[in-house]
Amino acid sequence: MARQPSRRRSGEGLTAGLLVGPATAIVLLSLVAPLALLARYSLNQYDRMTFMKEAFTAENYLRFVADPFYAGVLWTTLSIALVTTALCLVIGFPIAYGIARMQSRWKSTAVLLVILPLFIGSTVRALGWIGLLGRGGLVDSMSGLVVPGGGVTLLYTSFAVAIGILSINLPYMILTLQGVIESIDARLEEAADSLGATPGRRFWHVVLPLALPGLATGGILVFILAMNAYATPFLLGGARFQMMAPMLYREYAVNNNWPFAAAIAFILMLTTLSLTAASTLLLQRRYQGA
Amino acid sequence: MTGAGTLLAIPSEPSAVPAPRRARSPLKAAMLLVGGVGLVLMLLPLLMTGYISTIADSVLAFPPDGHSLSWYARLGEFPKFGQALGTSLRIAAMATIGSLAIGIPASIALVRHRFPGRGVLNVLLLSPLTVPGVVIGLALYVLMVEVEIRSEVPMIGSDAMLVLAHLLITIPWVVRLCVANLMQLDRAIEEAAANLGASPRQVLWKVTLPMMRQGIVAAGLFAFIISFENIELTLFLISPGVITLPIAVLQYLEYRADPLVAAVVMVQTAVIALLLVLLDRYVRLSKVV
Repeated sequence: MARQPSRRRSGEGLTAGLLVGPATAIVLLSLVAPLALLARYSLNQYDRMTFMKEAFTAENYLRFVADPFYAGVLWTTLSIALVTTALCLVIGFPIAYGIARMQSRWKSTAVLLVILPLFIGSTVRALGWIGLLGRGGLVDSMSGLVVPGGGVTLLYTSFAVAIGILSINLPYMILTLQGVIESIDARLEEAADSLGATPGRRFWHVVLPLALPGLATGGILVFILAMNAYATPFLLGGARFQMMAPMLYREYAVNNNWPFAAAIAFILMLTTLSLTAASTLLLQRRYQGA
Repeated sequence: MTGAGTLLAIPSEPSAVPAPRRARSPLKAAMLLVGGVGLVLMLLPLLMTGYISTIADSVLAFPPDGHSLSWYARLGEFPKFGQALGTSLRIAAMATIGSLAIGIPASIALVRHRFPGRGVLNVLLLSPLTVPGVVIGLALYVLMVEVEIRSEVPMIGSDAMLVLAHLLITIPWVVRLCVANLMQLDRAIEEAAANLGASPRQVLWKVTLPMMRQGIVAAGLFAFIISFENIELTLFLISPGVITLPIAVLQYLEYRADPLVAAVVMVQTAVIALLLVLLDRYVRLSKVV
């Protein structure tokens, strides 16, 4: 069984090729090819009359780096993504742990409660936050009742955007972590308990190291989602609060500056990719060290 | 790892360690508190949207002057939203079926076959997950414009192109979930079937695919959500006639937030919740995702 003639080998290669071929074709056709074209566009020049002029220049990228406004937008996007990712980890872990170790028949209800928000689009939740945080909204009116004339409008602030993104990304984090925690043998924790570890020690030295791959996967997933967020900053951030995705769309749709939009796209993509790659490498090194 | 765990677990007698129970409570309280905050964050906006949809006045103010469900009755007066819902369901259904048809074979090849370039293909098929949606959207738009100019075939705003774009973001989820599912399945069962004389085709249809049922349902579910909810990519590929529901709602919300749009999204949410509950009866969602 172990050594088969090479004919069988090439037959298997052919079957595998047929099975994986369509998926590969779609990714090459609708991701790799368009990205290559977009990379070329990002080196073109904007022209007031024809919108785009064939060129070979780095000026779109230089404009982004040199103008403090654009660099500021990148910085805002990064900080919102990092803060929401950290909060997702801190808030998501206890919930995922609780659900993973749940034994009762309520477990599937709990999972449904986490899955349901996934299905509810970002616009639905943005509307809820507008009602809560906006002018004349619940928080505004209630604080107005406590302190007459002292209403608080939190909408169109970085706080509103961060809380909106957090509420959208939490379910992704919880589901990722729950799967990983469920695969950790509960007896390991009981063993730590019975050997006299305090709950804190048990958490730091048993649960957390074993859940680290899940924390990394979930963290990278929600980080990418936050860097990419469009509807939440658009609706909850308003006109003055800028993040990368809405800015890119505006350059494309309002200013019709495709070369610059293309450059923004690559800056956003490369920032996201290099940060996720760096965190993966860091974790791998830690694992090899341990 | 498991061996060590079993070894260590043997002396563990629940009755012999009553002490940690009490010591655990502050940690447990903190975890409950954080968990509560998380639940509020996830569910409060939805409850608020539901509440807004029952406010009688079209201007949001708290406390509201009165409550009424008349907005739901008036939904028929705004066919734009109904049309958009139809488009969304149509695109999501096609993207789900397509991504399953393309993604399941790919996962079987990646897990069950050995061929050169397997590792590279695995990374390539998951790569759309790591590229921001707006970047994919802009890139696809630019390519379609170039093709339109050269071939004079209208592409932007057509169902086919929207489905193709959605396939790109749903296939990685299908591959990811099906590969994880296949790796858990015991290969010996398929080998036993083959040894007993089943042809490769019979093994696939009578053994492998039925065993993958849970993974396939989860993959289909995720593909549907990802497609139905997508805004970032779809934004670049719609045309005035073909608008998906999330984008119709987004465009409306840009100018006003009122009980009408709240009623629209509550109907959408109710439909999906019903779908989830039905699915939960067929396969336990808590075991699948």
